[in-house]
Amino acid sequence: MTEIKIVDAKNLSCPQPVILAKQALESNEKVKVIVDNETALENVKRLGGKFGCDVSVEAKSGGIYEIQLIRPTDLNKDQEAFSPSCITVETKSGPFVIVVNEDKMGRGNDELGTVLIKAFCHTIAEQSQKPDVMIFYNTGVKLTIQNSDVLDDLKQLESEGVQILVCGTCLNYFEIKEKLAVGIVSNMYDIVETMSGAGRLFTP
Amino acid sequence: MTTQNSYCVILFKAVSYALKAEKILKQEGLPHKLIPVPKYISSDCGVCLRINVDTKDKIVALLSGKVDMEEIRELTE
Repeated sequence: MTEIKIVDAKNLSCPQPVILAKQALESNEKVKVIVDNETALENVKRLGGKFGCDVSVEAKSGGIYEIQLIRPTDLNKDQEAFSPSCITVETKSGPFVIVVNEDKMGRGNDELGTVLIKAFCHTIAEQSQKPDVMIFYNTGVKLTIQNSDVLDDLKQLESEGVQILVCGTCLNYFEIKEKLAVGIVSNMYDIVETMSGAGRLFTP
Repeated sequence: MTTQNSYCVILFKAVSYALKAEKILKQEGLPHKLIPVPKYISSDCGVCLRINVDTKDKIVALLSGKVDMEEIRELTE
């Protein structure tokens, strides 16, 4: 029973991956499902949650995900009745935008906030799904100038196609415009337009 | 610091130690980067210092006695 059942659900569209995963889970305690899209990933994870499984996901190259599900020994009726419905992960309607409005992450302690923003930029640069645009304003613009601790990460993101917009008014206010080292000087029109048109937008 | 195949991370017991070490390396002008502890090492929200393999000995010697280091690991990307 401890053997892992492998379910290869690549090239299958929803709800096939979930149906196969459910069937596998009904007769195996450990199942590994291989999928090639986010919709299938989310739906298989949801199935795992319903079955009370330990779920771990490994992202492989080429948009492949390996989802390992380890379920408790006993199944209950609710789980058997789980209908493998499909929730489509919304394909982006607008760009994925990150707004950096401070040179720190979170409020309360500046020293800590400085550590967190560095860790944030590093992690974003390592993610397989990169933002389309990053907007920097207020003290956030200080991250984009020479000697910034996150400059390498931002340059890497820019080289991978992430558009970096830096508020010109802010650079001007802090008198650091000539020190800008990544991204392009932008204005409120572009910033507002990008933010209003975003499919997904968040601030660290 | 540029991406390399192999690098080291220095893990600390607390964030404050990592910050202290970072300050020292900055003063000495030794390349380093404060990064989140890789998920497969620990799922805690911690930070560690990423350094080059070739400056590892120098950095460790520099920090010894000044900052408590928990572990030094060599990793491959």
